Amino acid sequence: MRLAPRPRKNLLFWLGVIVFLLSMSLWSARGIGFSLTELVCNLTDGSRLLRESWPPDLAFLARLVDPMLETVFIAVVGTVVGGIFAIPVAVLAARNLTPNRLTWFADRNFMNILRTLPDLFWAMLFATAVGFGPVAGALALTVFTVAVISKLYSESLESIDMGLPEAIRAVGGSWLQMIQFGALPQALQHYVSYALYAFELNIRASVVLGLVGAGGIGMILETQRANFEYERVTMIILAVLVAVLMIEEVSESIRKRLT
Amino acid sequence: MTQQTPSPAGAIQFRNASITYPNGAIGMKNLDLQIEPGEFVVIVGSSGAGKSTLLRAVNGLNALTEGTVAIDGETVATHSSRDLRRMRKRIGMIFQDFRLVKRLSVMSNVLIGRLAHVPGWRAMLNLWPLPDREIAIDALMRVGITDKAWVKASQLSGGQQQRVGIARALAQQPSIILADEPVASLDPVTTHQIMKDLVRINRELGITTLVNLHFLDLAREYGDRLIGLRFGELVFDGSAKTVTDEDFRNIYGRDFTESDLLEDSA
Ligand SMILES: Nc1ncnc2c1ncn2[C@@H]1O[C@H](COP(=O)(O)OP(=O)(O)OP(=O)(O)O)[C@@H](O)[C@H]1O
Ligand SMILES: [Mg+2]
Repeated sequence: MRLAPRPRKNLLFWLGVIVFLLSMSLWSARGIGFSLTELVCNLTDGSRLLRESWPPDLAFLARLVDPMLETVFIAVVGTVVGGIFAIPVAVLAARNLTPNRLTWFADRNFMNILRTLPDLFWAMLFATAVGFGPVAGALALTVFTVAVISKLYSESLESIDMGLPEAIRAVGGSWLQMIQFGALPQALQHYVSYALYAFELNIRASVVLGLVGAGGIGMILETQRANFEYERVTMIILAVLVAVLMIEEVSESIRKRLT
Repeated sequence: MTQQTPSPAGAIQFRNASITYPNGAIGMKNLDLQIEPGEFVVIVGSSGAGKSTLLRAVNGLNALTEGTVAIDGETVATHSSRDLRRMRKRIGMIFQDFRLVKRLSVMSNVLIGRLAHVPGWRAMLNLWPLPDREIAIDALMRVGITDKAWVKASQLSGGQQQRVGIARALAQQPSIILADEPVASLDPVTTHQIMKDLVRINRELGITTLVNLHFLDLAREYGDRLIGLRFGELVFDGSAKTVTDEDFRNIYGRDFTESDLLEDSA
């Protein structure tokens, strides 16, 4: 038997997509005042900046240890505290586990609002509440972590086998016990993996939050840049690069081993 | 093995009980059934006949839509979750797919049978009182897998996992055990071992035992009393030893074949 000829509409379709994307890009570039000529001029100007930024100020490295640790601590606190709060948020938003529809609905919306607002927004909010510094940073990352983990985790929980939770019910277990013994263990691997993923995001976010005054290495970067200490800025960027890469590498290898 | 104090009684009574599922499927129809304490009852019927529905009605996993089911005279609650949990405390359930917490040890899994017997915070923090741990060990002894106490449940064979399932039920110190096709995912040799375990436990502890079975020869061999269901209705209730092929034909609504027998289908 011969196959029917393959439909040829694909070519035209993709051509349309490409034309659409190109025109969208051009339109957007005009919108933000992006021009190629300006970019080239600025690049030559930028080469002066580059020359001033080299070589990196190695002596400055010693003074980076403490702020770097602070950045990591902010990320750790945000991940751990946020990771704990994410569990109830995820459970109540899982259709198969939530005690009733109203709770589910409220929690779903709460979760979506958290996800809509960016981490910088939370940093600003907490900075006004508790003042600029590492505490505001950790609080912002706590919320950010809940936002990242809860949605993913609630989806994992929705796909568990409900046989075990039912067995816990059958021995006379409460709703909480059903969650603890019947549901959470089944999605534990996913949870750990999501938490590590959130930690990787938090390390980077922690650096950025420092730029707006949340402490840590980002804050040093911002002060040195404001003082035109470009050789120190280079040193900081290199240090951040190495540290973040190392942390992500470790975290990723743990995640890989889990799945 | 001193800890196993058999709970009193374990009588089950259905009165004009019916279950119609939300989608209109009939799971149980006008069932009147009295089961005496300590009986070993085997329930047969073709797929969809309502065997699981019947078992799950006893511990309230399925609510009746009509009539009542009572245990030792007390109606199984449908609304108060506290009453329901108090009754479930003494009703063990064994499943075809074992339903163990795979990442926990055998011991932790058996202790789950004590969940409703200890204060909630103790179970939550894994701080089980000594008497409860002794009950769990005793339950493990009864199914002969004390040597596996600290092994992760996921590392056991199917037969061993089902023994843990039985031990978990025993740890409840139940007056009733419900077994929903407990051997359907086991090989023939293990099947006979598990069935023998269930019978022995029934004799030793006097626990009322209801077992759903797929295979007719198993039902004949191990059952005392045999109950046949068809389209949610009770169509046979008599001795498993004297049940005839004609009775089976009636229960199944067709001639039975080799696939209905363990020995031939395996
Ligand atoms: N949760 C449910 N929702 C809707 N219908 C159901 C549900 N559970 C069972 N049923 C229906 O009720 C009837 C009885 O089902 P039940 O599971 O009790 O049969 P069974 O005898 O245990 O069958 P099997 O041998 O396949 O396990 C069937 O028609 C089934 O489709
Ligand atoms: Mg069934």
